[in-house]
Amino acid sequence: MTTSAVKIQKLSKSYNGSEALSNVDITILDGQFFGLLGPNGAGKSTTINILTGLVRKDSGNIAVFGKDIEKEYRFTRSQIGTAQQELSIDWFFPIEKLLQYQAGYYGISPKNAKERIEELLNRLGLWKKRKSRLRQLSGGMKRRYQIAKALVHDPKIIILDEPTAGVDVELRHELWDYLRQLHQQGKTILLTTHYIEEAELLCEYVSIIHKGKVITEGAPKNLISQLGKAGITVHLTKWDDTLPALLQSYSYTQNNSQLHFTVKDAETEISKIISLISKNGCQIQRVETTKSSLEDVFLSLTGRGINE
Amino acid sequence: MNWIGLWTLTSREVGRFFSVYRQTILPGLISSALYILIFGFTLQQRIAEINGVPYTLFILPGLIMMNTLTNASSNTASSMLQMKLLQQLPDILTAPLSSLEISLAYIIGGTVRGFVNGTLVLLLGVLLIGLPVSSPIFSLGYIFIVAWTFSSMGLLLGQLADSWDQLAMMQNFFLTPLSFLGGIFYSIKMLPEWAQVLSFFNPIYYMINGIRFTILGISDSPPIISFWMALTMALIFFFSAVALMKSGRKIKL
Repeated sequence: MTTSAVKIQKLSKSYNGSEALSNVDITILDGQFFGLLGPNGAGKSTTINILTGLVRKDSGNIAVFGKDIEKEYRFTRSQIGTAQQELSIDWFFPIEKLLQYQAGYYGISPKNAKERIEELLNRLGLWKKRKSRLRQLSGGMKRRYQIAKALVHDPKIIILDEPTAGVDVELRHELWDYLRQLHQQGKTILLTTHYIEEAELLCEYVSIIHKGKVITEGAPKNLISQLGKAGITVHLTKWDDTLPALLQSYSYTQNNSQLHFTVKDAETEISKIISLISKNGCQIQRVETTKSSLEDVFLSLTGRGINE
Repeated sequence: MNWIGLWTLTSREVGRFFSVYRQTILPGLISSALYILIFGFTLQQRIAEINGVPYTLFILPGLIMMNTLTNASSNTASSMLQMKLLQQLPDILTAPLSSLEISLAYIIGGTVRGFVNGTLVLLLGVLLIGLPVSSPIFSLGYIFIVAWTFSSMGLLLGQLADSWDQLAMMQNFFLTPLSFLGGIFYSIKMLPEWAQVLSFFNPIYYMINGIRFTILGISDSPPIISFWMALTMALIFFFSAVALMKSGRKIKL
């Protein structure tokens, strides 16, 4: 049986009477790439801030590798590395020194941290900037430093709060590659994002959170096939009156010689539809598909888009 | 205890103020030298000796205390507020460090700055006006206790403040008047009786008189009372700072 890296049970939190989280249950398995997906203000940051000790819960339990995050905070915090959404600023020390301090907070001496820091600075393209202060770095470099800082004590669980917010496309893809690599090395990754594409591409499992509640969870593929809708448009050379009888099990609309099908899973249905139509001797000019996404899942559950 | 964590945060705090020594060490020395030159040499001709001690020598223990306590308190207060405002605090609060370790690191950092500043003014006095120091070990001990007390108080203020403006207000309306009214430039025997009684409620009065006793052998308050007052204040402010850190007020939601 796979053990759980993080187990959140019935977590609730209010700020000045307004409910930020209500009975949230989340289980993240060891080694899983987990996405916490939701619009801004849904409660994603509150959840991870409680998990890392920055915010106090009102009720509920959180365990990291089976240990309570309050009673055994030294153990649980040493298992987690967090890249905060907000970029921190420091004007006193060069980034190499800051990483050394960060390792020190986790009980790692400068001597033991040296190799790891060098490796991270190289891997994240910051080696040449190691003597620079944070304010001298570009936005993208600051983001990469933030990730190096989360990884400096070699944690088993990596939490990334909106890691690609405000990052250009190139760096976003670089970061995705790096996260995939970390995941392959066996790290458990918790990613919060409101970028649908990011969650679909990277996460093995997602929880969709809306107004402080988990509204659904599952593997992105399963969620899409259960709750999403895809479109298949078939352009015929000419319309045939026998088609409606053959296609009666499908939901579709017709516009002259063009048929538009609404299906759950375009990949499995497309071949069936094509074979039904061609069996009747109809000639197909071309076929277009529109893919369903987590955005559709979110839309069908909440009645609005995730970034609206 | 996370000893490496404690050592790291402490050395960061100490390294932080040493890296900007022009802001954190030199100003205290320069202003103390100015006090000695302007107040001491100009007023010394007009003011009779106080308790048998020339005026310039009399004010020096007060200047040491003032430097110690302003540097110690502003180090912790500004460091804490800065970390809060610049989003650096999450790095520490999410690390496996206890409230005691975090508080200790800040307080030791502030104490080192207060101690360095106080000791440098003491040396300045020795070099500039030949200040006789009757019990140097006790003088240094006093500087340490006062630095510890005000470093703890600065941490309390820094954690409670939401802005630089609030912090400046606490320092300007509270700390500076109390230290000036603690008897840096005068003996309370020169004050009207009601003002003398008020001075007894000012903890800084005991600290200034305590160190004055260790340097010059004179004091307005009995030395043993000064000592216990200073030690009590050190313990009260230290435990209050640790308790406030544990409560997470203004730093954890």
